Order: sequence, then structure tokens, then C-alpha cells
Amino acid sequence: MRKLLVVLLTVLFATMMFSQSIKVLAWDDAHSQSWNTLLKDFEKATGIQVDLELIPSGSMLQKTSLNVTENKANYDLVAIDEGNVAKFGDLLLPYSQWPKGKVYPKVGTNDIPAAIFAAAEWGGQLVGIPNNGNMYIWMTRKDLINDEANKEEFFKHFGYELQVPQTLDQLMNMCVFFETKGIYGFAPFTATSEGATCEAVMFFESFGTSVLEMVDGKYEVSLDREKALQAIRFYKELMKFSPPGAMSMGHAERIGAFSDGLVFSMFQWPGIVPSHENVDESMVAGQIVYSAPPAGPFARTAVRGCWIFGIPKASENQAAAAEFAYWVNNHDVGLKLAEEGMTPVRTDLLNELSGEKPWYTGMAEAGQFAVSRPNRSVHYPELSEVIKNNWLGAVTERITPEEAVENMVKELNALLESYE
Amino acid sequence: MSNSTTIKRLPLRKKRGPFLYFILPAALIVGVVLVFPIIYGFGLSFFNWPQVNDGTRAFINVKNYMELFKDNEFWHSLFLQLGFIFIAIPIELIIGFFVAILFNHDFPLSGFLRNLLLLPVFILPILSGLTWKLMLQPRYGAITYLLSLFGMEFPQGILSDQSLAYTAVIIQDIWRMWPFMFMILYAGITSLPKDIMEAAEIDGAGFLKKTFSITLPMLRGTITTAILLRTIDALRIFSEVFVMTGGGPGNGTMLFSLYIHKQAFEFGKLGYASAMAVILIVISLFFAFGLVRKNMDIDTM
Amino acid sequence: MKMKNRKKIIKWIVFISALIIVLVELFPIWIIISSGFKRDLDIRNSNPFDFQFNLRSYELVFQKSDFVPSIGNSLIIGLSSTIISLIFGSMASYGIARFRFKGRKGLSYSFLVSRMVPQIALSVPIFILFDRLSLTDTHIALILAYTSFNLPYIIWLLLPFFSSVSPSFEEAALVDGCNKRQVFWKIFLPLTAPGLVVAAIFGFIMAWNEYIYALILTGNATKTAPIAVNGFMGQYAPKWGQLAASGTIILIPIIIFTLTLQKYIIKGLTAGGVKG
Repeated sequence: MRKLLVVLLTVLFATMMFSQSIKVLAWDDAHSQSWNTLLKDFEKATGIQVDLELIPSGSMLQKTSLNVTENKANYDLVAIDEGNVAKFGDLLLPYSQWPKGKVYPKVGTNDIPAAIFAAAEWGGQLVGIPNNGNMYIWMTRKDLINDEANKEEFFKHFGYELQVPQTLDQLMNMCVFFETKGIYGFAPFTATSEGATCEAVMFFESFGTSVLEMVDGKYEVSLDREKALQAIRFYKELMKFSPPGAMSMGHAERIGAFSDGLVFSMFQWPGIVPSHENVDESMVAGQIVYSAPPAGPFARTAVRGCWIFGIPKASENQAAAAEFAYWVNNHDVGLKLAEEGMTPVRTDLLNELSGEKPWYTGMAEAGQFAVSRPNRSVHYPELSEVIKNNWLGAVTERITPEEAVENMVKELNALLESYE
Repeated sequence: MSNSTTIKRLPLRKKRGPFLYFILPAALIVGVVLVFPIIYGFGLSFFNWPQVNDGTRAFINVKNYMELFKDNEFWHSLFLQLGFIFIAIPIELIIGFFVAILFNHDFPLSGFLRNLLLLPVFILPILSGLTWKLMLQPRYGAITYLLSLFGMEFPQGILSDQSLAYTAVIIQDIWRMWPFMFMILYAGITSLPKDIMEAAEIDGAGFLKKTFSITLPMLRGTITTAILLRTIDALRIFSEVFVMTGGGPGNGTMLFSLYIHKQAFEFGKLGYASAMAVILIVISLFFAFGLVRKNMDIDTM
Repeated sequence: MKMKNRKKIIKWIVFISALIIVLVELFPIWIIISSGFKRDLDIRNSNPFDFQFNLRSYELVFQKSDFVPSIGNSLIIGLSSTIISLIFGSMASYGIARFRFKGRKGLSYSFLVSRMVPQIALSVPIFILFDRLSLTDTHIALILAYTSFNLPYIIWLLLPFFSSVSPSFEEAALVDGCNKRQVFWKIFLPLTAPGLVVAAIFGFIMAWNEYIYALILTGNATKTAPIAVNGFMGQYAPKWGQLAASGTIILIPIIIFTLTLQKYIIKGLTAGGVKG
């Protein structure tokens, strides 16, 4: 009788210890759906039950802010877009305090480049871990640059070899060239959304200026007017070689134009690339070369746009949550997850798998040039709004570039002052 | 319509008791579920309330409202929204009315066709918005193509131009919602006492006369209801426009709810957004009073 | 003779006009349905009037683990809230139409105001309410939220129908010895069938297609169809084929619901011989 009791108590104790469960909130996409397909492996290996909730990414901010507060956390692990890290930064457990993994090792900065890890930075420390390696990569049509006739003609006109554009000036030459062939050299991002801010940041930085810089923990306007004007004028020139609808092109339009074979080159987010390589969705599958974006006169830049995993301080299952985050970013697990559609962030995975997934090369290359938007502030959305509206106003010719730059500086200064 | 004179008219009006039986369940549910949220939402408009607490949450009295008054974007959104209401709804009503009269005849497949007409009202709003976005694409959109057959070219795309995008948004709503008006009016028309309609026809009344002097007046309550219900929802239209244009280009289609959404969930200024919601309710009330007072007997006590 | 021919011609003109109107109106619906059967590439590059038959999008939609359960959730929540709203809503509408009591005007307008508040503004406090009660991710929460949302609508929708019914039938029944409640259920409701059908249909559509409350109040277990369909929006650009396919699928229950109601009512009307 006593022995039975001891056995029962031990089993009870053991199940309590090991059958933990966590709730995870993330956005719904092929990347996160891959975790679903292999969830059973995680549960078996760790004994942790995972309730993985995937919702439309546009609704993530709203649901996260309702469910994660100082006192209560209905989720143990949340995915946070890097632009929103400032909003939740104080509510998240600093990465240095994340426990060592029991089954899966804690991921470190030798696995993920510091420039990418910086997406999780807040108040001088890391408050989470990136879970997708999202940054600008550049797509170029392989078939067009390999075409013998094109190569000959291009060399005759411009005196150097037709290749993946390494600089923005080369890109401009190629745009001019391909116009004669009925191909659009470039596709911009001009929809009124965050993507436009990304374009603005990329071109400003490529021409040598940052819009805002962090000084003593606060942002200050640091835009160099001359360089900004050069950037804007250059972009406007590029837009002359863009497909119809260039004045208001968002993701759907760009993806469509490139996949329908109309465009020579443009930037793209790695998460979208599988669609370009899918024969049911794209006419140019297999015809794309991936690289870092071309360099401007001043620098080569690739805008970063990662999501991170954060553990709310109010969560009661922090160790288990950390275990899941390590699992997602684990090397061996990553090999299987990548097959199911995950976009890896680990450098070793990017290098090893670049055979089957050529865009990983582009990501690895672009990672060296990662720059971030000025999003380490709770007020970032309003700041982004000013940058975006003025940039778009100038490139779509609603206002002159001079007006745009003046306005941008003025409005940003006004906003920053109002936050004092 | 003749009152049988052999039946005593009972004083229904004086009795109070039974009305509780009928009213209470509905009042209870609405009251319990919504009283806290509505008061909370109203109260929030008097606070500065950033979505994520950064220490600046505080009672600020009517500052939100004063700031709104100075906000150009707010007035612009309001203007777009009211324009939307005054253009889309009358058109929906007119189309719905005439189609309802058309369907009030006996013809083959009338029931089946009537049900088909309702499909646009049934589909998910985002699907409607996205379909119209697809049809208006400059390169491959079906509507772009059809318009080009009539010589109307839009190289940059209809949705890239502020006024055209606004027009497109209005047309999307008209397309989607005139069958709603149709449904209500059709139910109303078919409930009308047939003896009056037949009497009018025997008297030789032409179609137009019949419609304007007989049908319309009898449908006053129904028409008011249709406009009222449609207006309450049209004042808050969101998903269709959001997926179709995102409020753009620029702020060309930034209707009121889209601006509220932007303030609440992009900028996280919940207090400010609540103040806008309160203003929206006030505007809705104006419409409601205006409509109901003239056309329904709720107001006569 | 001429009268008969004239009627026949009018009948055919009306029929053709109705047909044309329906065809034009349904063109965008056609685009949605046909896009569900095309590859994404062909959606952009084929003639809109073309019909291809490719089931890849449907395959992908059903492979998504949350889609089919979400339809089940939407059905439970939609039907429950519609039934409750219809019952209590028609009762309240009757009370307002037939009884002149103190506060009648105030109550009616209160119902209206509660329906005017933008859901965006209510989403945060509604979440707080149900979160405190630990009712998030339950069916009952959404059923209550939708009922509170549908009741005022149905009340105001039914008012003109109820007001226009002649009280003579109710008065006759009262004389015969029925009490007020029996009069309502047995005499009055059958008379207002077309209005009730309209109210039920709109109530169901509203609950079926609603997004904001569903987003706020549901979790994995109670995810409803619009959330699952919105999942095909993708982080960057919509997966158009899957969106169209899933959107088409969730049209079906509404169509079935509407057709059933219409048939049932017509049967009821002709059987009971209740004619105004």
C-alpha cells in the first residue's frame, strides 16, 4: 500500500515538474506555420505543451498590448516586430537573464550577428532574441544578365560587364539599358506604409546621412540636407524606369510585377522570396540572383526588419518559454524547420542551406550591411509617419524635394520637442 | 384596412406591466455587456492614455477634444466620411428601391435571382475590398481593362490617384450595399396591403404616379429604417477601405474609422482615439434624431 | 386579349432586366470564386472571364490546421447569437411598438446609441471586461458580445414592420381570452414573417463576418472564420488564391442559412393562410 502511494506521488510530482505548458503568440505566415508542423518534436523532447496562437500580423500589436502588461501576461512568449520593441521593452525579461536551456542551448551572438541581434535592443540591453533574419536583399534577373546579346550590347555602351549591380550608379545604367528592351529596371515601394520609410532610410543612408541619431538616449534630427536631396532626386530618376502604378506600389504590386517578369531588379524581404520561387505564383522562378543591395556613393546598406521573441516579465513559465525560443533558433532543428518554410537567422544555417535556397546567400551578404530605422522610441510610429509622408510626397511629385526635406526636419523637430 | 366595428377597442395603451416582459431580456443583455465598455470608452476620452504605459497616463480634461479641433487630419477625415455618406447612401437607396419594385412582379426565377443579389452583402468585407483592389490594378485589373474599352486610360492606376481612389471606395460600397437596401425595401413593399395597390391600378394610375403618391408614402417607415441602419454602419466603415487603399494614397481615403484606427493602434493614443469615437457617436445621433423624428412615431409621446 | 399579351411582354422585360442586373452585380463575386480555382500566377495574367480548374489553393486552405475548426466555431457562435438576438430583439421591438410606457423614447435611443459606438473604441474595455471574468477564448464571451451588438440592430430593423401590422388580430385574440404573451408568440410573430427573416439573415451575416471582437476575445480554441481567412492576408501581401478559396467556402453556410429561412417562411405563410 505504502509503496503504491510513493509511486503515485512520484509520478504526480514528476508530471507536475515536467508537464508544463506555455502559450505563444506570433504572426501567421509560412515562417511561423513551420513551427506548427514540428511542434510535436519539441513537446516530446522537453515535455512542454505549447499552445501556439497565430494571428494576422496586422493585428499582432493590438493583441499583444492587451495581453501583456506589467502585472499580467496571458502569453509566455510573444513575437514582437522590431518597430514595437520600444513599446514593450520595459515589460520584457532581459536576455542576459534568460535561463540556460535544458534541452536546447541558449543562442548567443556567435550564432546570430550582432547587427541582427540589435533588433532586440532596448535601454542599452537586449530584451529578446530575433526569430527571423529579415533584412533587405536585392533580387536581379539571372536570365537577363546572362543573356549573351545583352552582355555584348551593354559592354559596348557602358564599357563594363553586365552583372548584378554593385553600385546605384551601375543600377541606373542598367535601367537605361533595359528600357530599350522593354524591361523595367527598378520597382519602388511607394505605398503609404512602413515600407516607404524603409526605402527612405536605405537611400538616405546610402547617400551618407541618417534622419535621426541617438544622442544621450534621445533622438535628434541629423539629416544632411544636401545628401538627402541627392538621395531623393536619384530615387525619382529610378522611378522613371518603373512599371505602371509606380506612384502607389505596395507589396502586392511589386511582387506581381517582378513575378510576372516585368522588372529587372529591386529589393525584397526574404520572407517574400519563396513566392517568387514558386512556379504556381511566378514566371521567373529559378531566374533570380540574390545579393546585398547596391552601394550608394557613401555606403552599402540593407535595412533590417526582424521580429524578436520576448518573454514578458509577468510570465510564470519563463524557463519553458526560453526553451521554445532556443528550439526555434537551434541549428539542427533549424535544418528541418527551414524545409517547412522558416526563414532562418543563424549564420551557419544561412551558409549551409544556400544551395537549395539561393536567397540565403543574399541574406548572409546583406547581413554585413544591416542598418536599422530609428525605431528605439515609443514615439517611432509618429516619427516614421513624418519621414514616410515627406519622402513619398517628394518622390511622387506632390511636393518638391526641397519642401520635403525642410518639412521633414521641421516636423521631426516639433515632435521631438513635444516629447520633452 | 377597415377596422371591424364589432370589435371593442381595448385600452392597450394604459397597461404597463407586460411591457417589462418584452423589454427586459434585451435591455439586460445590452446593458450588462456594454455599460462598462461604453462608460470606459467615454471616460478614456478625457485622459492622455498611451497604449503602453510610459508614465504619461493622466487625466487631461478636454485637451483631447481641443487638440482634435486643431487637427487638420481630423477635419479632412470627417469631410471624407460625410461626403461618403451623402453620396453613397442615397444612390444605394435609389437603386435598391427601383430594383425592389422590379422584383415585385411575377417572373420566372424571381426568388432565385433575389437570393443571388444578396451575395455581395454576405461576403467578408475584406474580401470585397481586396477584390475591388484586384479589379482596379493598372496592369491586369478587370475594371481597368473594361474602362480602357471605353477609351478611359489610367496608366498610373486608379488607386494611385487621390480623387479616383475615393470614387472607387464609394463605388465599392454602393456595389456591396445596395442589395441591403433592396432587401429591406422589398420586404416592405411585399408587406403592403395588396388591395390598395390593385385599387390604384384599376383606377388607371400610371407607374410613376402609383410609385410616388402611394407606394413611397406607405414605405416611409421602412425607408427611414433602411437609411438609419445603413448610416450607422456606413459612418463606421473600416475593413473594406483599409485593405483596398490603407487610407491612401497619402490620406486620400482616410475615412473617419481609419483615422481612429491609426491613432489608436499605430500611434497608440487611446485617449485621443476615444475622443474621436465620442464625436462619431454624437454625429451618428444627429443623423438618427433627424431621420427618426420626421418619419417614425417613436418620437411622439 | 391585348391585356394578356401586354402582361406577358412586361413579364419578359422584367425578367431580362432582372437577369442583367444580377449578372452585372455578381461580376466581382465571379472574380472571387474563379480566383479560388486559379493559380496565383494566372490570377494576375489570365483573362478574368476565363475559368480554370486548379485545386491547389483549396488544398492549401484545408491543409491549414485552424481553418476547418474555425468554421465550426463561427457556426456555433453565429447561430446562437442570431437565435438569441432574434427572440429577445423581436420581443423588445414589439414592446416598443405596441406599448406606450414611460421612458420608451429614452430606451429606444439608448439601444441605438449602444449600436453606434465604433467597435474599435469598445475593443479595449470589452477585452478588459471578459479578461477579468476569465471568459476570454470561450464561446459564451463572443455570443454575448455579438448578441449585444445585434440586438439594437434587430430591434430597429423590426420596428417599421411591427408598427405597420394592424392591431386588429391581436385585439381579436385578446377578446378571445389570450393573454398578451400568447398573442405575441402565436398571433403576432407569424404575421411579421418577412421582417423576421430579414432580421435573422442580417443578424447572422453580422455575426459570421465580424472581425474585431473575434480578434480580441478569441484564442486558439475559439478562433472564428474571419480570423482564419484573414490569416491568408500574409505579413506582406495577400495570398490571393487561398483568400479567394477560403472566402468562397465561408460563403456557403450563409447561403444555406438564407435559403432555408426563405423556404421555411414561404411554407409557413401559405400553409397557415395568414394573409394581410
